[in-house]
Amino acid sequence: MATVQVENVRKIYTRDTQTIVVLDGISLEVPDGEFVALMGPSGSGKTTLLNLIAGIDRVTSGMIRVGDTTVTGLSDAALAQWRSRHVGFVFQFYNLIPVLTAVENVELPLLLTRLTKRQRRERALTALRIVGLADRAKHYPRQLSGGQEQRVAIARAIVTDPSVLVADEPTGDLDAASAEDILTLLDTLNRDFRKTIVMVTHDPRAAARAHVERHLDKGVLAASVERHVPASRDAHEVPA
Amino acid sequence: MKFLPYVLQHLRRSWIRTASTVAGMALCVFLICVLQTVLAAIESSIAGASPSRLVTRHAVSLTFNMPLAYKARIQAIDGVDRVAISNWFMGVYRDMKDFFPNFAVESEDYFAMYPEIRVPPDQMQAYLQDMQGALIGPDIARKHGFRIGDQFQMESVIPPYRVRGPMTFVVRGIYGAAPGREGSVNMTTMYFHYRYLYETIQGAEGVGDYAGAGTFNLQLRDPDLATAVMRAVDTNFENSDVQTKTETEGAFLSGFISLVGNLAGLLGAVGLAVAFTILLVTANTMSMAVRERRTEIAVLKTLGFSGGRVLALVMIEAAALGVLAGALGVLLAQALVGGLADLPFMGLLLGNFPALRVSPPVAGFTFTVAVVLSLGAGFVPALTAYRGRITEMLRHA
Repeated sequence: MATVQVENVRKIYTRDTQTIVVLDGISLEVPDGEFVALMGPSGSGKTTLLNLIAGIDRVTSGMIRVGDTTVTGLSDAALAQWRSRHVGFVFQFYNLIPVLTAVENVELPLLLTRLTKRQRRERALTALRIVGLADRAKHYPRQLSGGQEQRVAIARAIVTDPSVLVADEPTGDLDAASAEDILTLLDTLNRDFRKTIVMVTHDPRAAARAHVERHLDKGVLAASVERHVPASRDAHEVPA
Repeated sequence: MKFLPYVLQHLRRSWIRTASTVAGMALCVFLICVLQTVLAAIESSIAGASPSRLVTRHAVSLTFNMPLAYKARIQAIDGVDRVAISNWFMGVYRDMKDFFPNFAVESEDYFAMYPEIRVPPDQMQAYLQDMQGALIGPDIARKHGFRIGDQFQMESVIPPYRVRGPMTFVVRGIYGAAPGREGSVNMTTMYFHYRYLYETIQGAEGVGDYAGAGTFNLQLRDPDLATAVMRAVDTNFENSDVQTKTETEGAFLSGFISLVGNLAGLLGAVGLAVAFTILLVTANTMSMAVRERRTEIAVLKTLGFSGGRVLALVMIEAAALGVLAGALGVLLAQALVGGLADLPFMGLLLGNFPALRVSPPVAGFTFTVAVVLSLGAGFVPALTAYRGRITEMLRHA
């Protein structure tokens, strides 16, 4: 069963009197545990598609289903609650809260749960251990490198153990070595923790780490490139 | 509660802005608190007035005096138990900045009708026996270091009262308040013998009716007779050259206060302007805070924070500013309001009111105003955060 199903989605923006069709009847299926890269030129609609899958934007028409939930049918409040449980979002510019330490940033989504303070802190530290930054837990974002900030952002995205990770150009603001580390981390999360990942990227090297490449152009899905998927996958959950 | 550390860390981030906002708001809270305290003191003075005491004055104005002969005619009216002359002397000790209220009174009758003013019997005896004797409030004694037996001079700023130059007084007593009446006794007043004033100025050129009575203070046999006595007194002098106006002590105090204009209205208007300033200051800070944090708000929403929760976070931040400023402003007012009466010119007005201190109801009211206004000011920015679409806020970051 597909984790993410996108059916005939259209997204139209209206600016003053101008109507812009960003996505024009997109249909896409991302199977459970898949790692998909969305590529395309600027303005092709790939980030918009990612935002729609993550439930942070609304479709003009069409349907998006993630797991058992029809995301497009949820109210704003229900959608927020759904995001907190089922989606981890990784931004290009990390978007960590500067006044919070690394562990506090990672802990932020857990404030919406019923976990105790101690449980929240343990989970956040576990997530930081997974991304290899347990020793930087008390550091503020300004005290971390770009690559480390992105690792913290990924820890924040996985701390609630979501089924889907969406990443909007996660390596776009990093040097080659840091980008490689981040891609390896995403690969690990996909392979070892069986996270479904949908990643938007301009970088062919980043896209090459995905199992499937989907290309968007002018709001329409074009070519699809599939790669060999490793046969053995030992699924894990983020340990509580 | 688990969100509070997050909110406080945000306030700490722009600590200069937070501190200046809190300081600005605290100053406004301080002003409101002081204004409310003065209003409360005025109301307390009026409330402390006895219903069985009346005050008769010149019908035209308090600044004109009445013939002394009126006293006997008032005394003869049915229902009047006692009458005492009281004249506003407006004497200045050393300098205007040291001013304290002072009255020339017919001592025996006057203090008999004001039992809330307590004087130790031996001091009262010494005072009554000394023509130059003065009874002073404990605040005057403390401020100027006066002790029993000290001699000092005062000169009135009212020309007829200074025709013979400064008058000499001897401290013969320091009064206090009867138990339970502390709030209605002004501790900064000086009393001396009317007879001393009269004999000093009588016959001098230019004194005229200033050798008369400023007010007649009447003690009634029964408070229920107040209306009848007021009418009887004023009717008695209706066809005289000098007509009178008799009113209850409370009404007289209200009228005296209104000599400086509609004080309550003025203070209320200033308080309103200050409250509006709080609103603007907080609204500005909260708008800036929300505008600067559009991306963070978008991130919070992406992480699953609902619009309502984001709205609540902004409101908590605004409330935190209000709580800080409210507490600081009230503490500041509590520390400084007592000293206001010692300020030049302010003392002229505020020195007439006993119990000039921030009461718990005034502190509570002012604190609540600060918090409510902060919440009001934070509402629009909070609503902006609530309504903001994630993708829009991320795009314009």
